[in-house]
Amino acid sequence: MIHLKNVSKVYSNGTEALKNISLDIEQGEFVFIVGSSGAGKSTFLKLLIHEETPTFGKIEVNGYNLMKIKRNKVPYLRRTMGIVFQDFRLIDKMNVYDNIAFAMRAIGAPERLIRKRVKSVISVVGLDGKEKCRPNELSGGEQQRVSLARALVNKPGLLIADEPTGNIDPKMSFEIMKRLIDINKAGTTVIVVTHEHELVRAFGGRVIIIDSGEITEDKKISGTDTISQEFTDISDNPVPSDSTQQNNTNNNEEADK
Amino acid sequence: MKFNSSGYLVKEGLKNIWTNRMMSLASIIVLVSCLIITGAAILVSINVTSLISSIGEDNQVNVFLEYEMSDIDAIKLGSTIKKIDNVVDCQYYSKDDAIKEYKEKLGNLYDSMQGEDNPLGNVYKVRLGDLSDYKKTITEIKAVEGVASVSDRGDIARTLTKLNYFVSIVGSWIVLILGVVTLFIISNTIKMTMYSRRFEISIMKSVGATNTFVRIPFIIEAMAIGLISGLIASLALISVYNPIRETAGKMITLVGTSTIPISEIWLNILLGFSGAGILIGALGGFISISKYLRKEGGEILGW
Repeated sequence: MIHLKNVSKVYSNGTEALKNISLDIEQGEFVFIVGSSGAGKSTFLKLLIHEETPTFGKIEVNGYNLMKIKRNKVPYLRRTMGIVFQDFRLIDKMNVYDNIAFAMRAIGAPERLIRKRVKSVISVVGLDGKEKCRPNELSGGEQQRVSLARALVNKPGLLIADEPTGNIDPKMSFEIMKRLIDINKAGTTVIVVTHEHELVRAFGGRVIIIDSGEITEDKKISGTDTISQEFTDISDNPVPSDSTQQNNTNNNEEADK
Repeated sequence: MKFNSSGYLVKEGLKNIWTNRMMSLASIIVLVSCLIITGAAILVSINVTSLISSIGEDNQVNVFLEYEMSDIDAIKLGSTIKKIDNVVDCQYYSKDDAIKEYKEKLGNLYDSMQGEDNPLGNVYKVRLGDLSDYKKTITEIKAVEGVASVSDRGDIARTLTKLNYFVSIVGSWIVLILGVVTLFIISNTIKMTMYSRRFEISIMKSVGATNTFVRIPFIIEAMAIGLISGLIASLALISVYNPIRETAGKMITLVGTSTIPISEIWLNILLGFSGAGILIGALGGFISISKYLRKEGGEILGW
């Protein structure tokens, strides 16, 4: 599904954002891309959605060779994926329904299909009854769910979530993550880019750590049954207690082993 | 573009005009001004062309008699002219008749030019038979004693041809300069619209909208601005065309009879102007958005 071979990206100002990265992500995987700010996560994402092209190497996404893709084929590549942004990127003057429908209208879908799909995807993300609300009438978590619905409405095989929990509280983070996992279980490949190590350790899965433009670790960690409990605890106490933080730290260490 | 999205795209384009109404209004005003000036130059040109051709077809010349000539000498001179080959008809037209006619057309201005103060001369209106012998016949008439001058239509035609050439050259420059100004104004309007909608454009591109799909509403907006401007400009020109033609016709009879009446050209003006407006709009919109669409993601948002 996604194949990168010896991919490097050097920006025109000389910044070496990615150094000789190779990895494969297969259909149906759930992958966390983890790294601190400036590690190269954003560049990695930009390469996947072809906002940037690699300086060296080979990259293939959903059957498209991104080294050779023609400009007029890029929209069709992007239709094979859905993107969730940290800042939601919802259009303020549109209500929930129109924000989601916008993704279908933008690719010329017929209104009848739009009505059917939008209704269905609103249910999937649990926003029934909020169709007429404007983004500013929703909480951060709800806005992120609208963003998620918009990413899903074109039924992509690949969902990329860029810091999906970055702007929402822990309870909502849990909600969003649970939905992403459900979406993955339904067969969609999900890539979550985050710098929140706790989230990764809590949910588990394949974790790729990027540091200074290089993949320093690529491993699977187990998500335990305690995940839900742990996040429920957090959501009940938005400011984590010392003991919770201690638990997380212990989990982190276990995960790193 | 799929057929089922065409309604959506047209609606979006027209919505843009209202959203950016001040800039749209500015564009329409500039575009209307440009089209009126350009259209006026074109109308003058086609009317001058029409005048030239009607002069070319006219086989009548005015033979002006010497100012001091008595009526009897004038009658004798008329019979001499009639004898010249190729002269079909020769009608006397006295200076008193001429000043009366001027007075009827232009009013009191000629009141003080009656009788002795009449500056006009007596004239024979001479109709020629074969226009291919025009020059030879004119030379023969000029040679008759007592003939002061002959209104040589060839001279008028040549002057008008020069005028037409001048109007065409100036008109072409006007069209060119105002065309560039108009394109600049309209592409700026579209750039403003695109800037205000950059967020939507970035989302559209991220979900896989083709550049054509993103571009169409902006081009429709520009074309609609062009169409509105074309309609306003053509209605303005159509409404002033006849009054100007009638006034000019009162002063110079030939203008009144040989120019093109509005009934023959109003549809051409309307269609031509609307078409020109739409074309300029489409071009302006296309130029401005093509550059913008090469941007990706954060570049669109200016991040």
